[in-house]
Amino acid sequence: MTAVTATSVPRVRASRVQGSLQRGRRWALVLSYVFLVIFAVFFLIPPYYMIVTSLKSNAEVAHLSSNPWLLSQGFTFEHFRTLLKETDFLIYFKNTAIVTVCVVVITMVVSVLAAFSLGRMKFWGSGILATGIFLTYLVPDTLLFIPLFQIVRGLGLLNSYWAMVLVYPTLTVPFCTWIMIGYFSSIPKELDEAAMIDGANHMQMLTRIFIPVALPGIIAATIFCFTVSWAAFVYPMAFLYSSDQLVLTVGTVTSLIRADVYQWGMLMAGALLAAAPPLIIYAFLMDYYIAGLTAGATKG
Amino acid sequence: MKGSKFTRRDLLKSTALATASVVGAPLAAPYVHGAYAAGKLSLGLWDHWVPGANDTLTKLCNEWGEKNKVEVHIDYITSQGEKDKLTAAAEAQARTGHDIMSHRDWNIVVHHQAMEPVNDVVGDLIKQNGPISPVAEYLANIDGQWAGVPTTVGSQVKPCCSRFDLYKQHAGIDLQDIFPNDESKYVKAKTDTWTWDTYLSSAEKLFKAGYPVGLPMGQTSDAVDWVAALFKSYGVVMVDEKSDIRINSPETRTALEYLKKLMAVNPPEVYAWDDAGNNRWLISGKGSSIMNPPSAWSVAKRDNPEVAKNCWTHAMPMGPKGRFVGQLPQFYGVWSFSQNKPAAKDLLRYISQKDSARRLVAASNGYDLPSFKSFYDFETWKTVEPPVGTVYSYPPRGDEQTSMCGAPARPDVAAQLYNQALPTVMVSKFTQGNEKLDDVIKWAEGELEGYLRS
Amino acid sequence: MVDVTHPLRSAAAPAAPAAKTGLNRLMRRRSSVAFLMCLPLIVIITSLVIYPAGYSMFLSTLNKAQTKFVGLDNFRFLLKRDVFLMVVWQSAIFAITAVLFKALIGLVTAHLVNNLPAKGQRKWRGMLLVPWVIPLALSTLSWWWLFDPTHSAFNYVIEAFGGEPIAWLGNPYWARFSVILVNVWYGAPFFLIMYLAALKSVPEQLYEAAKIDGANAWQQFIHVTLPMMRNIIAITVLFSLIVTFANFDIVQIMTAGGPRNMTHVFATYAFLLGIRSGDIPLGASVSLFMFPILAISAVFILRGVRKRGREIG
Repeated sequence: MTAVTATSVPRVRASRVQGSLQRGRRWALVLSYVFLVIFAVFFLIPPYYMIVTSLKSNAEVAHLSSNPWLLSQGFTFEHFRTLLKETDFLIYFKNTAIVTVCVVVITMVVSVLAAFSLGRMKFWGSGILATGIFLTYLVPDTLLFIPLFQIVRGLGLLNSYWAMVLVYPTLTVPFCTWIMIGYFSSIPKELDEAAMIDGANHMQMLTRIFIPVALPGIIAATIFCFTVSWAAFVYPMAFLYSSDQLVLTVGTVTSLIRADVYQWGMLMAGALLAAAPPLIIYAFLMDYYIAGLTAGATKG
Repeated sequence: MKGSKFTRRDLLKSTALATASVVGAPLAAPYVHGAYAAGKLSLGLWDHWVPGANDTLTKLCNEWGEKNKVEVHIDYITSQGEKDKLTAAAEAQARTGHDIMSHRDWNIVVHHQAMEPVNDVVGDLIKQNGPISPVAEYLANIDGQWAGVPTTVGSQVKPCCSRFDLYKQHAGIDLQDIFPNDESKYVKAKTDTWTWDTYLSSAEKLFKAGYPVGLPMGQTSDAVDWVAALFKSYGVVMVDEKSDIRINSPETRTALEYLKKLMAVNPPEVYAWDDAGNNRWLISGKGSSIMNPPSAWSVAKRDNPEVAKNCWTHAMPMGPKGRFVGQLPQFYGVWSFSQNKPAAKDLLRYISQKDSARRLVAASNGYDLPSFKSFYDFETWKTVEPPVGTVYSYPPRGDEQTSMCGAPARPDVAAQLYNQALPTVMVSKFTQGNEKLDDVIKWAEGELEGYLRS
Repeated sequence: MVDVTHPLRSAAAPAAPAAKTGLNRLMRRRSSVAFLMCLPLIVIITSLVIYPAGYSMFLSTLNKAQTKFVGLDNFRFLLKRDVFLMVVWQSAIFAITAVLFKALIGLVTAHLVNNLPAKGQRKWRGMLLVPWVIPLALSTLSWWWLFDPTHSAFNYVIEAFGGEPIAWLGNPYWARFSVILVNVWYGAPFFLIMYLAALKSVPEQLYEAAKIDGANAWQQFIHVTLPMMRNIIAITVLFSLIVTFANFDIVQIMTAGGPRNMTHVFATYAFLLGIRSGDIPLGASVSLFMFPILAISAVFILRGVRKRGREIG
């Protein structure tokens, strides 16, 4: 906790501080960096290890004598090549992309509509409903998958990635609705009153006023939704088995681990490639994400 | 409602499902003889880890399909993360899915109520090929009904796989001499020296030399299988046929005391090993012996050939009550809700023939072990190398018998004590947790009582 | 439980002055439109969460073969099992410790990043967010390999410095440490971004005022930053608690509950009993135990949030 105390100092306006304080400030900054580096190392150990391993040959991975943290026998792109050319990795990738895009669209439509109605309008039972949505978040997916299997079967979607489009929203909708409720209710009341006087109906109000104003929140919810459906594990593990239907997480794990044989190089290469899309999206939309998440959550 | 057989259990089950307002099980079309011409059959089979092994099985199934004009569709489902069991559980629960599923270890016991009896198929196979493994019978013949057909693919035993160079050098034991690659050259006087006591004394020497044996003590099947084999050779009975708990016995105490000494010369990480732990241990060159099918050896062949060419697969040590090796067969089950049962049975008959088995064993480089002793003479085990004969003794030879953890208890009780890894948890509590022997046995008794609840 | 809807209450007050004519009709129309907008949500939640959850509850009242109604016998049976009680205890330790450290690390890193010059912030934020972006199942796999006894890269470092190798997943206490560590690693970035945004929304004037009153940095943190962030801390903790409590991937991949059942949590134990041992009703009962525990903590935390919401306005 000393780090926190020390680094709170720089809040002080630089123009008004004395020389000693300025020195303190510099020290605080140095200390900040020291601690940040420590945390960054902790956070980046596995990704770093993934990169190193994905570039090693199988023989080097198996040998114990060499330093596991370094590439001591040169590097090879063999694992990436095999992964892309000789496995179904690209199919998994495509399936995951389709599922994720659909889930994001469905989730956003459903939760924006519902959040607008729960956050800005009122109807009989809306309070209970809002609470209820939260409570559904408490139901673990390990409890749901067996009954869900029957529903999926009933719809003829067994072993099809479209089943994921159906079931993932149970993971995303509650949280996204919750964020959006918070966001919508933080928008000043005057806005809809003005619109109402202009004769706009509720749908117009939503699309012309609320959605543009709440865009950061919507982007935050979208990213959340994207990450969750990109990384979902339990449902696809239970519902998909054909290699042309599998998604990235399960596909990578199941096709590269055979009984007690692990293809570490390819596994790590797969993990890195699987992490790329969310990483890129975060890189571009992070500012919105941060603004959106907090506004939603604090108010909610 | 579905098929011809309709038991009271089925009735209860379907009523239970119906009351839960589930969409009723689809009506199965009554089978008309010859109707599987142009029919369809879908299979969910275990995804073999040996590259190319799946292809041979696919080829066999397609051969049959072409002959019988049936469209065969195969999904290979990995056992990684128990995905195959997850799928089977969901299919059994929803009463829909593949026609044939392959089931590992206890899954026939778990799902036998949802399976079509296959007495005719297995009966004929036994007539053709002689006696079947008692372990397979214990696992798949429930109340006198065969609920699954033992497979070749994926079935295995877990004997010792040792570095004969290290044994010779550090323990003065010539394993190739005791277990030569020809059963007719086995000499009782020699094989009798390979006992658990010898195993311990050599393990101690190898430990001192810096090459400990690696015996898993986690909660997965490799660990449970070897501990159970040791228990069996010491005469330990956990629960007997009459569902009496018999764990509190001098035999159990002797076995646990022995294990305390043995575990002391294992690396400490064995308590964390999953089924791949011992493989990596051997492949890395650090370990002198493991108890595993030849998968470790064959990966070593790719990743560390120096180790592979010094590996020798051979029988388990002998205990006071005999020499036992853990066997883990797989089975094909036909779901009772399958739409094409006669076709399914016919396919199973075809892929269980001795010739089919021979091709499958060859495709797996000898990893797969059929449940018929009369199949143990396949060429593959004699020819696979390096070194020549390294997996010859993988099929139980000489006086080695196969065993299954939990036998002779009621199968559903044994299934729980196996899956919840009672034997290894007991051992770990005693050897790693340093709990008192009496407390460990008392704890085990409590657990067993719980498993007996039906 | 109406507490939860607090923010809605003020917002949902009808815009009375705007509608003088036909107020009733408007209200009626308004509420039916509102209901229609919620309909997709209601359909999804009812058919894909409430119905399956209800069905699982029904399952949990059956015997193992699912042929007989046994009422609460499964629950009674569980409460008498040593291993199950251990699981309850371990789940609580696992979730509480992990969430505590996630919150702490999130808070510290958020502060550190927030105090950097604006230029460098993006870069650091990006780096610190990486764990949350890699699909958990895959990153856990790489952790597992880092801990793997035979190849442990950590032990390589320890041994290079002359230390004794650690049986990370072999020793039950280290195994507990390891699964918690992975959970903290994965979850801390989420706290980081939540807190970072909250920090940015604390008005600068409050700090100025505190400084005029002679507050030092620590006092500012205690008296200004913390109170302003209390709600978001509470909500983040709640969400994280739920997700952590129900976590399956990490423990299943790292230890599958071992050694000696000492890392089992609800989800993995339910899987062991329900799927591996074939007692689906018992597995469902284990999963159901989670619900009341989480619901109670949710009620308490949300009540606190609502109360503070009133105070602050």
